Amino acid sequence: MKRFISLFFLAALIFLPRGAQAENYDLKQITPAVQQAIQSRQARFSQLQHLKQQGVIGEDNQGMVKVLKDLPEVKNIAAGENQDREIIYQTIAEQNGLGPVGIAKVREIFAEVQRGKAKPGESIQLRSGEWVQK
Amino acid sequence: MNYRSVIFILWMAVIAGCTVKAVGDPNRPITINANVVVDIRGLKKTAVGIEDMVAKGA
Repeated sequence: MKRFISLFFLAALIFLPRGAQAENYDLKQITPAVQQAIQSRQARFSQLQHLKQQGVIGEDNQGMVKVLKDLPEVKNIAAGENQDREIIYQTIAEQNGLGPVGIAKVREIFAEVQRGKAKPGESIQLRSGEWVQK
Repeated sequence: MNYRSVIFILWMAVIAGCTVKAVGDPNRPITINANVVVDIRGLKKTAVGIEDMVAKGA
């Protein structure tokens, strides 16, 4: 029985720490596509902030921007922003081996970060789907 | 504490670390309404880092 207990301890030492040492999900490598996406987002950031403060654009619960007032030029800005965000989300999912469920989680977490960063008066969509002004 | 207790405690530790078992009526699922997303493996930190990079580089 002592031998059995020793084997059990050994097995516990081998297998238990693996969960604790699991790597974080991260952007492990900034690819040229991600670099381009980040630069494009930086370039339109001020414009996007202005549109958010005017209530023309809001942050949805999938980590994307949504046009709330139908203006053609705003649609292009939102489409470009969402395209760049999609590149970043997809890359994180790919580099960390996340499947469809994982990328949904990536979107949710980025959406939560955007809700946290939103300034008072800006439109945000809660997890429930309800749109509110922060 | 005898060896049976030691084995039991270790076994429970292994099970607790690996398995989450839900009990209840499957026809009446538990609904939790929350606006906070559970972070997984530091993904929120990554998201904050990227969004900070976007904002600071603007």
